[in-house]
Amino acid sequence: MKLASLNADGVYIIGRLEFGERNCGLCIINWLMCILEVQDVEKSYKTAAGFTPALAGVSFGVKQGEFVAIYGKSGAGKSTLINLISGIDCPDSGQIIFNGVSINRLSEDERSRWRGKNLGVVFQFFQLLPTLNLIENITIAMDLSDALPLSEHRGRAYQLLEQVGIADHALKPPSKISGGQQQRVAIARALANDPPMIAADEPTGNLDSKTRDGIMEIFSSLAKSGKTILVVTHDKEIASWADRVVYLKDGRITEFQEE
Amino acid sequence: MTELRTRWIKILKDIWQNKSRSALVILSIAVGIAAVGMINAAKLIVERDLYRAYQAGSPASLEIYVSPFDKELAGAVESMREVEKAEPRRAVDALIYRRSKEKWEDITLVAVPNLNAVEVSKFVLVKGSTNATTRSILLERQSAEAMGVGVGDKVVIRMPDDRQYTLQVAGIVHDVYIQPFNLMNEATGYVRMETLQWMGEVPYYNKLNLVVAQKPYDRAHVLEVGHTVRDRVIEPAGFQVFRVQIPGVGSDPGQHWAHNQIQGFLLILQIMGVMAILLSAGLIVNTISAVLMQQIRQIGILRAVGGVRVQLILMYLVYVLILSVVALLLALPLGWLGAWGISSLAARFLNFDITEMLLPSRVILWQVALGLFMPALVALYPILEGTRISVYNAVYQSGIGTEHKEDGVRRLLMKLKGVSPPVLLSLRNTFRRKSRLVFTLVTLTLAGAMFISVFSTRASLTQQIQDIGRYFTFDVALSVPGGTGKLTAVREALRVPGVEVAEGWANANGVILHDDGGESKAIEVVGIPYDAITIDPVLLAGRWLQKGDAQYIVVNDDLLESESGLSVGSHVRLKVGDVERWYTVVGIASKHLSGPRVYMSIQEFWRLTGRHNQVDVIRVRASAARNSDVITQNAIAAALEERYKNAGLSSLKSTTRNAIFADFTQVFDIILIVLVIMAVVLSIVGGLGLSGVMGLNVLERTREIGVLRAIGASNASIFKLVIVEGVTVALMSWASGAVLSVPSGLALAAAVIHAVLRADLNFRYSYVGLAIWLAIVVLIGIFSSLAPARSAARLTVREVLEYE
Repeated sequence: MKLASLNADGVYIIGRLEFGERNCGLCIINWLMCILEVQDVEKSYKTAAGFTPALAGVSFGVKQGEFVAIYGKSGAGKSTLINLISGIDCPDSGQIIFNGVSINRLSEDERSRWRGKNLGVVFQFFQLLPTLNLIENITIAMDLSDALPLSEHRGRAYQLLEQVGIADHALKPPSKISGGQQQRVAIARALANDPPMIAADEPTGNLDSKTRDGIMEIFSSLAKSGKTILVVTHDKEIASWADRVVYLKDGRITEFQEE
Repeated sequence: MTELRTRWIKILKDIWQNKSRSALVILSIAVGIAAVGMINAAKLIVERDLYRAYQAGSPASLEIYVSPFDKELAGAVESMREVEKAEPRRAVDALIYRRSKEKWEDITLVAVPNLNAVEVSKFVLVKGSTNATTRSILLERQSAEAMGVGVGDKVVIRMPDDRQYTLQVAGIVHDVYIQPFNLMNEATGYVRMETLQWMGEVPYYNKLNLVVAQKPYDRAHVLEVGHTVRDRVIEPAGFQVFRVQIPGVGSDPGQHWAHNQIQGFLLILQIMGVMAILLSAGLIVNTISAVLMQQIRQIGILRAVGGVRVQLILMYLVYVLILSVVALLLALPLGWLGAWGISSLAARFLNFDITEMLLPSRVILWQVALGLFMPALVALYPILEGTRISVYNAVYQSGIGTEHKEDGVRRLLMKLKGVSPPVLLSLRNTFRRKSRLVFTLVTLTLAGAMFISVFSTRASLTQQIQDIGRYFTFDVALSVPGGTGKLTAVREALRVPGVEVAEGWANANGVILHDDGGESKAIEVVGIPYDAITIDPVLLAGRWLQKGDAQYIVVNDDLLESESGLSVGSHVRLKVGDVERWYTVVGIASKHLSGPRVYMSIQEFWRLTGRHNQVDVIRVRASAARNSDVITQNAIAAALEERYKNAGLSSLKSTTRNAIFADFTQVFDIILIVLVIMAVVLSIVGGLGLSGVMGLNVLERTREIGVLRAIGASNASIFKLVIVEGVTVALMSWASGAVLSVPSGLALAAAVIHAVLRADLNFRYSYVGLAIWLAIVVLIGIFSSLAPARSAARLTVREVLEYE
């Protein structure tokens, strides 16, 4: 049986899974190193006008430690895609496999548990809990997923705040720090349980350019340290920080660009 | 020290940082729990202290009123095996001078064989000594307090023959078996038979207090023993039995004289308590729904970072539990305070002592169980619903007012013409969340129905009193002890300046003889002029007495309770003394607090009793057309008393129509005040509920409000949008409350009237109550919407965008 085949663009595919490789051997290696497989995923939303397709058969894979940007214009389906990958939403058809686990077959609670251990989520609007201080915004993730002993929670949270450069504000509530600082806390929270992958939806969409670069530097260094980073953006400059960019248009992957 | 988990820190911070919302939940729980504590503790305290004190003094199972007798008769009765104890008593009506008010008050002087060893319905010495001499008296403690006298002080007693005697107070006693001064305005004093003799009375007893040996609480058995005693001992000994009765107002043997009334009142309070709990539960559901609605996004975030549903359910249950504990800490003393208030009121009117004002442990356990489990149980539904939401919807869809399917109400609203778009939007908003609308409506409807019901109860009571008042259409009535000639009595009354009408009435005790040889219980036979205007009876059937009605009688509804076979046209054999005569019933009059009665023309009364031309009561009026005012009544009363005293006819105190109803009203008002307080609590709870719902609606439609602001809606129009919605809900609740208040008013009025008057209901709906509630509910609608309206008006477009 033939494992890899060439598509019309001269890119090797395994099944319908593309890694943007024009080299068959590298394509097979990528597949073997793959942490995330998005297989033929379709999603549409019901509106007053009927069903509107958001994703129409999207397939791609992400290697462990890879920094991937999902790039597209507004309405391209990128946020839908990252929501499906992070288990926040479910596809109508197709599969999302993370480390061999088909996450769309998990229940809502199982997906929460899975996220707690495997995936840190960073939202565009930070989504910190307003009544908790910064440390507690991080320890809540540890507490809920029970990944670490209780006695280590605060120490690790402080360490993560140091890592994102905001430890001085540890005891402040989110409302007392800037947007950029809040996003740093959100990243620290995403790292709370030391997940292998971080998924960020327009993480800098609400920030100025200087703050934006600071955030992207964090993602970049995380990728270098072995974390798999998936960032959704409509900003080419942001996409340029990634190892690989997946271009989305009208719910389909249109082309690949290698760095 | 063990570190606290962040989830619990979050819960504590949520509680602390949303103080007003937390206070609302605490208040919602506390109101219901405090009401339960207050009512149940008061019930237990009354039952414990009043009923126990009542039982402790060997209460009489039966009272037999007999023609004058001596101690030996009591001894003969006591020797019967059916009787455990038989104690004779003599009661004489007299007057006591109240120095503080410079007026004479009624007093019943009771003589017993030995004041140091009363055996039946025992009083308890409070102060001084029971060793009364011939010229001393023991006063019941409420009477002593009202007269302002203590041990060693002197009181002046005026006997029916108008002679005055000064007695020294030897002791103050507490008698739980008599109707107390605070309730009846009639004092009670205890004297030796020698004292009565010294005061000009014959040394005989006129009443036997009996404790039945077997089954002392079996009503039928006790009455049977009474009849046996009468037939086997008293009547064969040559004495006449006037009445055999169980003490109290419709009570069973061994029960406190006001047992049924107390139970009726407590039942009403318990119904109110259950309603308070139901409303409290509803309010908790509402507020917790609001909390969850507000935290939907947080729920989404918690799930996004690894939280599972059961963890969130637990978090919110702990949230409710913490608030419940605080509410309980508040409710326990509040309940205690309420119980203290009600028990003290009861103690003051029913003349008993509260031995211990601690909340009974059973009540505390009830409150703790209810306080901890009820909120968690009712909050479970909104918590389960709130945490069911998917992460996607929680994070990305909250804050959007969902459009619902078109329905009849919405289609109707769409057709409304001439209504401004913002008002139309408010009206449509009202019907968006039907389950929430229904909840708010239920809360406010219940409060409204209760409020109007209380007013209807008041109106019905007033109507009932007015109906009863038709049997007392005199200005002043004065008893003539021993009777006197009719012509003399009427002539002397008409000589009182201002008196235009004077009627002489006579009364006697009798029985109806049954075909099987048995007889009815004692009934009062009243002889009146056929054209009497000091009575205006409410006839349930048939007609009133007419001129020439020799063999015709009118009976009252009370008589029909025991003689159920009687109706208009029935023939009855009436026995008074030794005389028996047949009569035809021509009319049935309503109940009027008199007990079983038969009315007949005074001429027929004279024929039946043989007391020719004698009358026992003189009833006068200043005008034939109408009753006079209070001042005139009092003036005539004083003049009539003076006139009769000077004529040697009577030196008793007269009764004015106003005085009779003033006493009634006082008792009713106490009950109504308690009911109004409960209705006010319910309306506060209803208002809180509406406020919570309005807050929830505003929260849910944050984005919509932002859109309105973005297209130019002013603060005032956003404000109006919310207020109109609140007032619409309030008005709808008013309409449904008005409908519900008819059956609930009927039930409450019937319960109160039955408890207080032992009478059937003559319901009167209170339109005044309906109008007052309309004003209140509109104010509730406005005030409940103010805070949510302010928050809505404060929302900026930027905040709304951030909300997304």
